[in-house]
Amino acid sequence: MPDNGLATLNLPTLEQIRVGCTACVSDVRGEDSATLRLLEMGLTPGASVKVVAAAPLGDPLELELRGYRLSIRRSDAARVAVAR
Amino acid sequence: MTHPSGGQADRGLGAGLDPERTITVALLGNPNTGKSTLFSALAGIPTRIGNYPGVTVEEKVGRFSHKGRSIDLVDLPGTYSLRAQSPDEQVVIDVLQGRIEGVAQPDCILVVTDATNLERNLFLASQAIDLGRPLVIALTLSDLAEQKGISIDIAELSRRLGCPVVPVVAPNRSGLGALGDRILESVSVAPPPAADLGPYLATIGGNRTAPAREAIARYAWIERLLDGVVSRTPTVAVRLGDRIDALLTHRIWGTLVFAATMLAMFTSIFWLAAPLMDLISTGMDGIGAWAESVLPEGAIRSLLVDGVIAGVGGVVVFVPQIAMLFLFIALLEGCGYLSRAAFLMDRLLCGVGLSGKSFIPLLSSFACAIPGIMAARTIENPRDRLLTILVAPLMSCSARLPVYLLLCGAFVPNLPVGIPWLRLPAVVLTAMYALGVVVAAITAFVLSRTIFRGPSQPFVMELPGWRWPRWDVVLERSREAAWSFLKNAGTLIVAMSIVIWALGTYPKFAPAADRQVPEAEARGEALRQSFLGMAGRAIEPVVRPLGWDWRIGCAVIASFPAREVVLGTLGVIYNLGDVDPGAEEGASELARRLKAATWDGSDRKVFTLPVALSIMVFFALCAQCASTLVVIGKETGSRLWPVVSFTFMTLLAWIAAFATYQIGSQLGW
Repeated sequence: MPDNGLATLNLPTLEQIRVGCTACVSDVRGEDSATLRLLEMGLTPGASVKVVAAAPLGDPLELELRGYRLSIRRSDAARVAVAR
Repeated sequence: MTHPSGGQADRGLGAGLDPERTITVALLGNPNTGKSTLFSALAGIPTRIGNYPGVTVEEKVGRFSHKGRSIDLVDLPGTYSLRAQSPDEQVVIDVLQGRIEGVAQPDCILVVTDATNLERNLFLASQAIDLGRPLVIALTLSDLAEQKGISIDIAELSRRLGCPVVPVVAPNRSGLGALGDRILESVSVAPPPAADLGPYLATIGGNRTAPAREAIARYAWIERLLDGVVSRTPTVAVRLGDRIDALLTHRIWGTLVFAATMLAMFTSIFWLAAPLMDLISTGMDGIGAWAESVLPEGAIRSLLVDGVIAGVGGVVVFVPQIAMLFLFIALLEGCGYLSRAAFLMDRLLCGVGLSGKSFIPLLSSFACAIPGIMAARTIENPRDRLLTILVAPLMSCSARLPVYLLLCGAFVPNLPVGIPWLRLPAVVLTAMYALGVVVAAITAFVLSRTIFRGPSQPFVMELPGWRWPRWDVVLERSREAAWSFLKNAGTLIVAMSIVIWALGTYPKFAPAADRQVPEAEARGEALRQSFLGMAGRAIEPVVRPLGWDWRIGCAVIASFPAREVVLGTLGVIYNLGDVDPGAEEGASELARRLKAATWDGSDRKVFTLPVALSIMVFFALCAQCASTLVVIGKETGSRLWPVVSFTFMTLLAWIAAFATYQIGSQLGW
């Protein structure tokens, strides 16, 4: 899992949001193509995201944002800092 | 919302456009937006299908005419952004910019947007608008949006974007006329103004990359644009969809439904397709027999019957499985379950460097690698797709089963293994299947961390809303898959069968005139003295360490057009004539012959347990299937990958067979 410095900041990430709860994206860390793809999919600062479900094996997550459903892996969700 | 309008007018290219010239329209859109359905509805069957140079992207062009103007529709692969992160995505931009040789720069961009997911879809659409080309937006799935309680003020949306927005329901052909009109108009008016991201960019702090800033600003721009244009009222359909979703992604119920669905799919391609395949085989045999009866004996008859007709039969026989699998995939895709299946299985496959989307292609490969490899089309990520294509042939397909069954039955001692009803041959058979899976997992794991290591591509997958699949769309998908296989791969596979036929027939064997040779023996001698026989003898030093004699080597070469041929060839080479290894008598007769076979000039038996195991292991891992290699070539659009695939699988098979034989012999099996 990439260390994005979020742990030290003690900010919750999308990965830590419980299933059924909604959070607001505050930042997506990193400068690689993965970060860009998450932003392009609409996970931009200010977007409201609901964690709808987790797959039976625990990963990936099912999210609801901007009126659609998106699935991303926990390792990518850990890049997304959120405010509850 | 205001747009800077200065300098827009001169970007219009309508003034100089020759009214007789064909208009080129590029079809752009996110995946899962009904783009291919719109393509079929507008242009019907594509007039040209090929591959863009150097990438695995299919080039699909269709032609239709509207109000007397001829329009070329260029289908682009579904993409989420115009900022390319892979060579495959770069193709989209290159086509739009007219940078691809032989493809005219589009006069108009037709952006397909999903009305149920407008906000995210407008991201790509607004990037396209920024290219400054004439542009029309088709709003698909508007019927579904209505059911979901989403209402869109289309006139206002069109006004704010500065380009036409046309609602279409492609399968019903509704809205297509208006779409054609707007396309024709668009080429003679100024293109829509670029999105003014400036004010939004100014508010973004921090040290972000330019593309990241653009993405954030663009979404802010879209939110503002859609304010007052889209309204949502939760409906019964939405709540029902949520309930279905909760059930199907549930730890227990979701897994059960998934297992049942996959079982149904696998059963249908494995067994339901079987009667159809038998029918085709019988039909082709009938045609062969008829040709044999009407043609005079000689080289032409042999070429037609054993080369051409047998080759064509070998191609057509795949069609039921391909059609059946794509019927299933289209059904699952049509209702939205395909992505859910990938969602459920992702964890299992991401450990070995693949993703959930590889599950169905790999599962299908247990029936046959050809539909499996074709099913890898559903994987958008080019890296995952190629990796899946490379490991799919390692799954033990149905053509390996008769080889396993015969050799297990004849050479593996029928001993109990300590578990009631379970005996050693069954354990060995299972082990062969497991071998393929384990080797595929290791291969994928190693390749994804070595050659295929690239910039980390996140697994982002849209889970589309639930909907009823449309039969016409489903059937079209299935027909298209079967047809593309016949058209693209068929010829080459037939050609290869003819080559193998020639190698096994020439140079002609002429029995001495004074000696009456029984038919079966003559055929055996002919094969032994043919080029194929020579090749078998030539490679003997290579197969000797596997415990094989030259006849086995010969049969393995002969099985290149199709694996199961190895048994038939062994039958011929051991003077049995044509045996049907599928029939019980044929198989037991062949087994009896194989058991009696001895090394040339000695009475040492050829087939011992280590030899039988080494043959099975070799077949589990080798690439002795011309059709698979041809399809790999067609699906990857390259000649390199079939060669890589063949070389690596043959090496792997040889090493594993060598280890099996040597260890088996050492242990004195």
